[in-house]
Amino acid sequence: MRTPQRAAVGFHLAFAVLGVVFLAIFSWVFLKEYLTEWRTTQAQFDQLQRRVKDPHALSLAAPLGDIRQVWLPDVDRVDRCTTCHLGIDDPAFATAMEPYTTHPGTWLQTHAPDRFGCTICHGGQGEATDFRNAAHRPIPNWSDPMRPPELMEANCGTCHRERRPSQTFWLERGREVIANAGCIACHDVPGFALDDLRAPRLESVGYKVRPDWLRKWLADPKGYLLQARMPNFRLEAAEIEGLTAFLLAQRETAPLDSAGIDWSKADPDRGRTVFGEARCVTCHTIEGRGGTMGPELTTVGSKVGRDWLFGFIKDPAHDQPGTLMLRYRFTDEQIRDVVAYLTEELVDVETPKTPPEVRYVDPKLVESGRQTFVRHGCYSCHRFTGMMALGKIGPSLVGIGDRAIEPTDFKIEAVVPTRSNWLFLKLREPDRLADESRMPTYGFSETDAAAAVVALLSIRRADLPASRVTDQPRLARYEPQGAFGALVARYRCLSCHQVRGWGGELSTVPFDRIGSQLQHSYLVSYLQLPSAVRVSLEERMPQFHMTREEAETLADYFADVFVDDSLGGDIQLDAEAARRGEQLFQTLGCRGCHIVGRTGGYVGPDLSDSGRRLKPGWIEAWLSEPGKWKPGTLQPNYGLKPEEARALTAYLMTLSTDRSGRKP
Amino acid sequence: MSVLTAVGERGLATWRAVRRSIFRVGWPRTDKDRAAAMISSVVLHVHPAKVQRHSLRASYTLGLGLISFYLFGVLIVTGVVLMLYYTPHPPDAYRSMKDLQFVVTFGLVLRNMHRWAAHAMVFVVFLHMCRVFFTGGYKGPRQFNWVVGVGLLLLTLGLSFTGYLLPWDQLAFWAITVGSNIAGYAPWLGAEVKYLLLGGNVIGAGALLRFYVLHCIILPLLAIMLVAVHFYRVRKDGLSAPPLPEPPPVEEMVAGRFPPSTRSYGLMALTDRPAQPVVEAEPDDEVLAWPHLLYRELLLLLVVLVVLHAVALLFNAPLEEIADPTRTPNPAKAPWYFLGLQELVSYSAFVGGVLVPTLMVLVLVLIPYLDPAPRGVGVWFAPERSWANRVFAALASVTILVTLVGMFFRGPNWAWVWPWTQ
Repeated sequence: MRTPQRAAVGFHLAFAVLGVVFLAIFSWVFLKEYLTEWRTTQAQFDQLQRRVKDPHALSLAAPLGDIRQVWLPDVDRVDRCTTCHLGIDDPAFATAMEPYTTHPGTWLQTHAPDRFGCTICHGGQGEATDFRNAAHRPIPNWSDPMRPPELMEANCGTCHRERRPSQTFWLERGREVIANAGCIACHDVPGFALDDLRAPRLESVGYKVRPDWLRKWLADPKGYLLQARMPNFRLEAAEIEGLTAFLLAQRETAPLDSAGIDWSKADPDRGRTVFGEARCVTCHTIEGRGGTMGPELTTVGSKVGRDWLFGFIKDPAHDQPGTLMLRYRFTDEQIRDVVAYLTEELVDVETPKTPPEVRYVDPKLVESGRQTFVRHGCYSCHRFTGMMALGKIGPSLVGIGDRAIEPTDFKIEAVVPTRSNWLFLKLREPDRLADESRMPTYGFSETDAAAAVVALLSIRRADLPASRVTDQPRLARYEPQGAFGALVARYRCLSCHQVRGWGGELSTVPFDRIGSQLQHSYLVSYLQLPSAVRVSLEERMPQFHMTREEAETLADYFADVFVDDSLGGDIQLDAEAARRGEQLFQTLGCRGCHIVGRTGGYVGPDLSDSGRRLKPGWIEAWLSEPGKWKPGTLQPNYGLKPEEARALTAYLMTLSTDRSGRKP
Repeated sequence: MSVLTAVGERGLATWRAVRRSIFRVGWPRTDKDRAAAMISSVVLHVHPAKVQRHSLRASYTLGLGLISFYLFGVLIVTGVVLMLYYTPHPPDAYRSMKDLQFVVTFGLVLRNMHRWAAHAMVFVVFLHMCRVFFTGGYKGPRQFNWVVGVGLLLLTLGLSFTGYLLPWDQLAFWAITVGSNIAGYAPWLGAEVKYLLLGGNVIGAGALLRFYVLHCIILPLLAIMLVAVHFYRVRKDGLSAPPLPEPPPVEEMVAGRFPPSTRSYGLMALTDRPAQPVVEAEPDDEVLAWPHLLYRELLLLLVVLVVLHAVALLFNAPLEEIADPTRTPNPAKAPWYFLGLQELVSYSAFVGGVLVPTLMVLVLVLIPYLDPAPRGVGVWFAPERSWANRVFAALASVTILVTLVGMFFRGPNWAWVWPWTQ
């Protein structure tokens, strides 16, 4: 009997079942594709836009049903966010719900979507077309999740690399924190240069400080001074001893000779007067009041030796060549009195008056101190001859904004392992993240640390094309030479004033065109004895006690070099013009802000002396367009016609009495 | 009305003529037609017209060879479609993977199918090799087919390895780093081999392009050629089977030298084999390939497709971050089929990376020549071959064990971890 050549019934059944299953699964493939998240989102948007828009606007709207993307080849990004965020640039959807709402603010007007896309500012995975994979929240295997609002300024900073970008509170503050803390000393930080560094040189510190003060300072700088820039290096007692020995052994340059001084004749009260005239509080703080350009002096008498202080005031550059402090033309007696005032009045009441006699001759201790000095990278901020070849002790921060963070980088379990958290902890408690970290504890406040995190997150790895980056132009160094240069170096004019942007920020008067603004004779007398032009200002230029010859040298240079030819020219000023000017002065109400004679407001400078102080070309240019010469000034622009400006100038040039109404 | 019928009939006749020009034997309705359909079709003539009934038993071969062939087919089809969207140049390669995942219609399912089919194929090919060994299918006259099979195993591993790099993500980059370093451990030639493999000293654009060409052209062509040889051999030598009951004495009996074939007649071949007299063979032992063999093959195909689709729809193929040569994951692991090697390498680079794999391949290739005695063919774990079976089973188990250790029990710095604590 032949076996049947037909397949068994069981087979047919198996085929049928499997066939159905296969069809079901295969149709799942199609369903998965045509019911994707973005298609349903677009379908809902279609219903929404029919409700929101009129038929004509609807007919103009872009068709739906496809993926939308912005392709930016120069930054190698593809952003498909607009596949779901369909109303992002259409004001009609301002009140719609997410993801269809219009973008808030005016950001899209300054950052057009077709040039910037979305992920440049927001982060996230632009290639994705569903919510989860777009990294709205952190996902594995995508290291650039969408930034929460508090960190978004970091993305601004990737392109805007100037030190103070506008409209970014956290970024600007963070960059300031980084500049002040001096991170650049130990780390390579893109966008920051070593010019900002300010720490005293230590080659001769053995002459300077008292040993008990030094020990306290090394143990905890902020214990001595809350605003100390030096961080806490978490030194052990043995390290402190070694460092103290090492530092006190540094006696390269002896201070200027004060052997001939008769200290018994020192008068602290006269010293206080000199101290006030010299306006030391412009740069130094005493008991919370004063400037921050120089160290605090509240207890300076307990910190430094008397002889060293004498030598330093006599010639600061002798001990610290790069110091910002100027060299007043004091007599030795004046310096003696100031030093007496400082060492007797500005002391810490707990320290004994006479420093203890200590001898440090143990070479092993000094050597261990030297090793401590090198190991903790002190040479990074305190430049030390003989250690200049040592590189930066900290890792480079290039690309820190893209640094991969593993959960194993954290030693603290309860922290969410994100990059921003890691940076925050590193800034606040560096020793808690890695056992052997030599990074000191800066004691940043939470706000400062958060701001610094934002600034650091803006430092990305990939470099951007130049068309995408904005930066402030690099300032050219200004270092005048010759007799003028020697005077500028002695009196440290550039600690407060600027030339072409280079210099300090304490003064609001740059030198760039000062020769065209102020008269020569006024400058000569002002430099010898500065007087207040504005009554209401706290900061005043100190009295340098400079000689007349020095003042003349400076004024000559100003008149010859720092001129603006557009402000020159002889202006015909006649009495008729002056009369019209006086009328204008009344009509415009200038006295509301300016003093003339005995009355007037305190907002602007005193104009009683204009005829002797200012140059007419400058007055006319200033009145015509104040905002051009000093952006943000309070002086209004009255839209004066040229002859009106000239009339006012003529009037002002007739004023040459001082505040008390006295003529010269 | 008659005009319509005439037109209809004429149309039908034309249709039938066209059909017959393509399919010379139409849908078979007689046994003769069924036999003819099998041997006259270019696609189907790899099958014999008739097969022994017991060779259809699923429990005999488990269909493993066929499954691996189906997987190969799926890989070719999905692979060609994927080639339309893939750019073999970093970093566009990674961008292509993202595009496939998010933009290309059915792209995600395509990629998943390709990846899971690839992993499955490596595993199935291994199982197929074990099956052939345990049923003695490498004995004469099938020795060379076993060698071709070993070649196919190596090609499968090569194809999977070269394809592993193509996504250009961290997983791919570092797996290939480990793998090419293991290749580089060979004495004298190691550096040259690694240089040849990568097209240079680093894994970069050159290596990616080289791997791409290997993966899409060179290795598939070699595989197709070897598959053709492999199938041809199987047809020529037939599916091995247990010896039939005592045949009647025939002069020039050389029975015992070759296990009897399931085919009762030779196909265009001169054979000095004592053919079983047709009259002696039980007619019930044979059935026509159409439909019995064909139906089983189609069923298996459906099963494979269903499982593959389900897996591809449920589980996504992994894609980590873009390859970063400056950031090494800890631990960096080779593809799973090389993890056994990596585990051995962690004990000794030479022993684990060079000696053991070379010996393994050598032994595999030589197995049919080391054990030519024609005993225990056609049944699983024949008692005559218990020694060989035990040794092979032990080696296979060790391989699996070492691979599992490398997969699950090794953590950062290749330190031992218990997988449930991760």
